[in-house]
Amino acid sequence: MENSLKKHRVGWFYIMIPVLAIALFYFYPMLDALLLSFRSGMGMNLEFVGLLNWKRLLSDPNFITALSNTLTYLVIQVPVMLVLAMLMSVLLNKESLKFRGLFRTAIFLPAVTSLVAYSVVFKYMFSPDGIINRFLMDLSLTDAPIFFLSDPFWSKVVIILAITWRWTGYNMIFYLSSLQNIDKSVYEAARVDGANAIQQFFKITMPMLKPIILFTTITSTIGTLQLFDEILNITDGGPGNATLSISKYIYDLSFKYTPDFGYAATVSYVIVIIVIILSAIQFKLAGEKE
Amino acid sequence: MKKRLFIAILLLTMLLPACSGKKTETNADAGSAKGDGAGTGAGTTVTAWAWDPNFNIRALELAEEAYKGEIAVNLEIVENAQSDIVQRLNTALSSGTPKGLPNIVLIEDYRAQSFLKSYPDAFYPLTGHIDADDFANYKIEATSHDGEVYGLPFDTGVTGLYVRVDYLEAAGLTVGDMTNVTWQEYIAIGKQVKEATGKQMLSLNPNDFNFVRMMVQSAGQWYFEEDGSTPNLEHNEALKEIFRVYKAMLDADIVKLNSDWSQFVAAFNSGDVATVPTGNWITPSVKAEASQAGQWRVVSLPRLQTEGGLNVSNLGGSSWYVLNQDGKEAAAAFLADTFGSNVDFYNTLLADVGAIGTYKPGIAGDAFDQSDDFFGGQKIYSDFTSWMADIPAVNYGIHTYAIDDILKVEMQKYLKGEDLDTVMASAQAQAEMQLR
Repeated sequence: MENSLKKHRVGWFYIMIPVLAIALFYFYPMLDALLLSFRSGMGMNLEFVGLLNWKRLLSDPNFITALSNTLTYLVIQVPVMLVLAMLMSVLLNKESLKFRGLFRTAIFLPAVTSLVAYSVVFKYMFSPDGIINRFLMDLSLTDAPIFFLSDPFWSKVVIILAITWRWTGYNMIFYLSSLQNIDKSVYEAARVDGANAIQQFFKITMPMLKPIILFTTITSTIGTLQLFDEILNITDGGPGNATLSISKYIYDLSFKYTPDFGYAATVSYVIVIIVIILSAIQFKLAGEKE
Repeated sequence: MKKRLFIAILLLTMLLPACSGKKTETNADAGSAKGDGAGTGAGTTVTAWAWDPNFNIRALELAEEAYKGEIAVNLEIVENAQSDIVQRLNTALSSGTPKGLPNIVLIEDYRAQSFLKSYPDAFYPLTGHIDADDFANYKIEATSHDGEVYGLPFDTGVTGLYVRVDYLEAAGLTVGDMTNVTWQEYIAIGKQVKEATGKQMLSLNPNDFNFVRMMVQSAGQWYFEEDGSTPNLEHNEALKEIFRVYKAMLDADIVKLNSDWSQFVAAFNSGDVATVPTGNWITPSVKAEASQAGQWRVVSLPRLQTEGGLNVSNLGGSSWYVLNQDGKEAAAAFLADTFGSNVDFYNTLLADVGAIGTYKPGIAGDAFDQSDDFFGGQKIYSDFTSWMADIPAVNYGIHTYAIDDILKVEMQKYLKGEDLDTVMASAQAQAEMQLR
């Protein structure tokens, strides 16, 4: 026993460096933020308030709107995006398809554009005299321009469209890479047994992709919960607070209003809690034993 | 082969933004290098942050030329977006160290109290360096805290109503009909103009409460009681009247909605709206459309039909602050010698950048008496300065933008048909609970 400890001393030393770095740069700030969430006040004048921030949270209509908006994005956008990504990856994996590389690049390209740049483009596309409105009016689908960004419903739609455009290709790449790892003989065997394309998809492709589906669901969920750039640049949370997300609200509390970093930390911990809960549910549903 | 092409394109697209990123970086480097080069002479180096190269940064450059004080000063001007300045100040000051912060910083008046209260001792009082009585009253109110003046007032946001004469004439009206009117009369004229020309009266962004803030100050009111922290929404008659006016304008269909600043500017540059009620700082943007020369006039802002409703107001405006760290004396001396006392400098400021200062002796010079052909020969600057004297002083308090966001939501509810007293009571309740 003692001998093995000695033997592994060098190994322990190597592992200590990243462990200390992670503790210092991840766990310490997390712990500090937790302590901060029990304090409140303007700027530097923070004082301990106990659970007051958490009480305030429950009766804060802005926070509740931000939470329900974020969950709306989550519930609508993540499934739509993942189904689209899956569909495209299966299509683009077809050997018989011409110009596959071109299509793959085209669909993946949005994922490498800057968040701010594409948000601004979306904002102008959906402005009252933007290209979308002109298109709709030229086709006589509407008489007057639709005020996409001044309408509580349409502004949410624009945000969902924007993030779907940005992230579908990114998720598609994961599916594509794992599709290529599925042994072709499995499909051949299925065809010999008389399975049609739909049966092959649901009985072979889906189960084989399960770990990747789980991974993309979790990362997309976390990504949507942290939604910020698009909100700030496309709608600035408006009209009213119809598109406000939790992250945007944290930003407002820290930098737009008179700073209350304590309460902002409380709100940010809500995201942590939601992420933990949702991830646990997703693991359970996917049936991961470990 | 296809794969290789895919990777090549991918790499290329990833490199492109990287290149542009680098480019801005070198620009920034070049900027600071230039500052260093200028700062080789003897003297204290004073850094200053501001956000508009055509306006407040240019004003700083002019101030550097005009400076003749005893302490030699090397001014280093750094351009930052306003939101970046706010963020950097907040992060640096809340960490308890002024390291990396400038000596002089420009802060919008609406945010001033928030900084002064949140970070006591972070700013250096200028009370001994300037004479507060020399400046417009409402500016001193906004920049003072605990009996000390912390800000050196810079530009005024004195408001006016920019009107298109040709559109008024098409409706059989004159500029006189638009002078010293109430908002109700304004709406009635708006309907006439719309009927005659098909043009909307003004452009508004429902998510920007500039318009509301401007109107509420015109009645000598604000979102708070005089203490600057007790919310005054539920029984604020001025605010209620503003909500009614806002709704009436939308109902009369005289508003062209916009969703950001460039659309707002485009609305009057393209000739889509007949008037622009806003701060005088919009003048350069109005004049930017040279083809409309001679068509514009500036009249006083319409007033609210409530107690104390005036035809003048203020919208925005900012002041210079000195951070309480090494170099504060030099920074304060620099500001006091230029923005704080130099009358000629204010003439240059107006002639060169079109900035109307709030230093009373400085705004009486010749430059203010010039007529402007773009505005049909009107002496707009002397009009603005005469209105400035009447701007009611209000305490902007510390939560202006937080209340803005509460009211935006309630405004949407009110426009959808909820009762005015109910939405105001709800706003009051939220404000009381959230802000303390």
